[in-house]
Amino acid sequence: MIRLHMNENPYPPSENVLRAIKDSINNINRYSELKYADKLKEALASYNNASEKRIILSPGSEFLLRELINIFSGNRKLIMTNPTFFPALKHAIRNARKIIKHQLSPPNFELNREMILEELYEPTLIIVDNPNNPTGKMLLDRKFVMEILKNKDILLLVDEAYYEFVKYTFADLVDSYPNLGIVRTMDKSFSLAGLRIGYLIAGDFFLKEIYDFPRFLPIPTLFAAREALKNPEYMEENIRKILIERKRLESGLKKIGVTVFSGEVNFLLIKCDIPELSTILMDRGIMIKDLSTDWIEGFYRVSVGLPEENDKFLAEMEKITNNPALKW
Amino acid sequence: MIKVGLIVNPISGMGGSVGLKGTDGDAYKKAIELGAKPVVPRRVKDTLSLIKRKDIYFLVAKKQMGEDYVREFSFKYEVVGEIKEKTTAEDTKKIAKELISKEINLLVFAGGDGTARDIYDAIGTSVPVVAIPSGVKMFSSVFALSPYAAAKMIDSYPCEITDKEVLDIDEDAFRNNKLAAKLYGYLKVPKIESLLQQGKESSNLTVAERKRKREIAKYVAERMEKDTLYLLGPGTTLKSVADELKIEKTLLGIDAVYKGKMVGKDINEKELLNLLKKHKKAKIIVTPIGGNGFIFGRGSKQFTPQVLELVGEKNIIVVATQEKVSSLECLRVDTGDMKVDERLKGHIRVITGYKEEMIIEVK
Repeated sequence: MIRLHMNENPYPPSENVLRAIKDSINNINRYSELKYADKLKEALASYNNASEKRIILSPGSEFLLRELINIFSGNRKLIMTNPTFFPALKHAIRNARKIIKHQLSPPNFELNREMILEELYEPTLIIVDNPNNPTGKMLLDRKFVMEILKNKDILLLVDEAYYEFVKYTFADLVDSYPNLGIVRTMDKSFSLAGLRIGYLIAGDFFLKEIYDFPRFLPIPTLFAAREALKNPEYMEENIRKILIERKRLESGLKKIGVTVFSGEVNFLLIKCDIPELSTILMDRGIMIKDLSTDWIEGFYRVSVGLPEENDKFLAEMEKITNNPALKW
Repeated sequence: MIKVGLIVNPISGMGGSVGLKGTDGDAYKKAIELGAKPVVPRRVKDTLSLIKRKDIYFLVAKKQMGEDYVREFSFKYEVVGEIKEKTTAEDTKKIAKELISKEINLLVFAGGDGTARDIYDAIGTSVPVVAIPSGVKMFSSVFALSPYAAAKMIDSYPCEITDKEVLDIDEDAFRNNKLAAKLYGYLKVPKIESLLQQGKESSNLTVAERKRKREIAKYVAERMEKDTLYLLGPGTTLKSVADELKIEKTLLGIDAVYKGKMVGKDINEKELLNLLKKHKKAKIIVTPIGGNGFIFGRGSKQFTPQVLELVGEKNIIVVATQEKVSSLECLRVDTGDMKVDERLKGHIRVITGYKEEMIIEVK
């Protein structure tokens, strides 16, 4: 199966990282030690130019978002977008006191900022992924973020899972705004999805409220993440390759008549009128993310794969779009 | 073995290529005169060729209503009932009833809105259907999106089933470029979404549709004001609201509720206007039509521009399951009055669950 459905990095971690993982499993019968987590926090603080005390580690960013929703939406209204990172949204729907979702609509997928500001008359938690998954669009800018954050009763969590692809962050505002938190992951850009490593760069308000977060991540996770941070150039080179492939994938799809919404990340949002496209592709050994279950019919998210995987995907797409039996 | 009924409306879809909007009634003759060719055979054969399962026993109508297509494949089948030389809606209904009496598990039919209506008249919700899209008009949301999708539904049976709308389009008005539609009924359709890929973002956490409707109903009922007249539009979501209030709702019509009691059942525009004269405060509760997102102008034509003007755009409550509304690019209005449409446009709140709302654009 060619996996173009989960926004994974198609490139494996570096040799050094793989070696660190192998070395770490010699002591796998022992619990992780606090010092391993502290070392990783130190490395993440330096990578993000943030204070070490602001880094909170988590087994993946999904877990982090779920916990933050549990802690902070019980006595606050929650605002999220639809679409967004769907597991977090589903968790929110089940657990928040009250939830307001903002539907992002084609062709621009913009956030209605006025309606968000109008909502801020009571304690509220806002969670926005920036850039947004699956549209790939940047939904927030500094001016809007600061406008939100000047209300002390409002908490803002920005999910920057794709930060390394866009290099645009609000992490530097965390020192000035206690009500801001930045959610990150090393799963995608650093090729560590199977190890699940997420972290929060937390404003003071979040730090005060979060006290019993799991402090012991699995040893291989901690070792791999630390090793990966020693050589960010390896990650950057992979990202460069992915972004080149994304462009190629985009123009290939456009050539065969598929509508592509240009994003800034390691995936593409496409619209295709061939019903059940993802099932047809799955029958041909390729997985893409069908968004119709949670969002609008006909929209799909395709992660950028290895060049040969992208070639195969484009070739199958061409065959499918030329087959009248598959069309309406 | 599963027993699958097959009914094909052999003339559906023929009007499209010659610029007619349907082949119901007299329009069929005109289509033939204009040289229209049948489109149904391709659709049906495409669907049959894409079915993967082998454990199907087809029960089919005679000749061009079923037998002609299934004969070309290796399926086991038997022919059911008699049909006239020139088939009509009556044949569709008669065969559908006969198939039900033979205890089929699933009914596959090919046609358009008119055929869907006939099937609904004949069998209601007694068995799930798979509708192969081949009509000119397919405003009803019962239709599979393609022959491929229809085949997948057949392959995946038994699976989760959902209710989809059958719309009644006034053909004469439609041919004159006016779309007048009302909700005609619901058919049961296999839910194909559940077939889609597994993964960490799979939707197995989605709460069952019916439960979601109850949650919406509870939230709406809790917020109802005593001194306000509520006009409940058609649809199963609104029926859940009525159930919550312990009143009996007309599924396809508009009912009026005041102080928790029914004060108007299946009312028309005139009756609505009369009620609005009597009550100072009134609110409309509606749900969009799945797929196209119309809240006014399709499905509930009793809410005329005049009624909407009297109620006021601030007093419109939209309800829909998360699943339904998040699948829409926007909500739509087409009341027939540009000024009223204009006032309804912008962003609106939709109640999607208990203390759960969605903000979406109205176009």
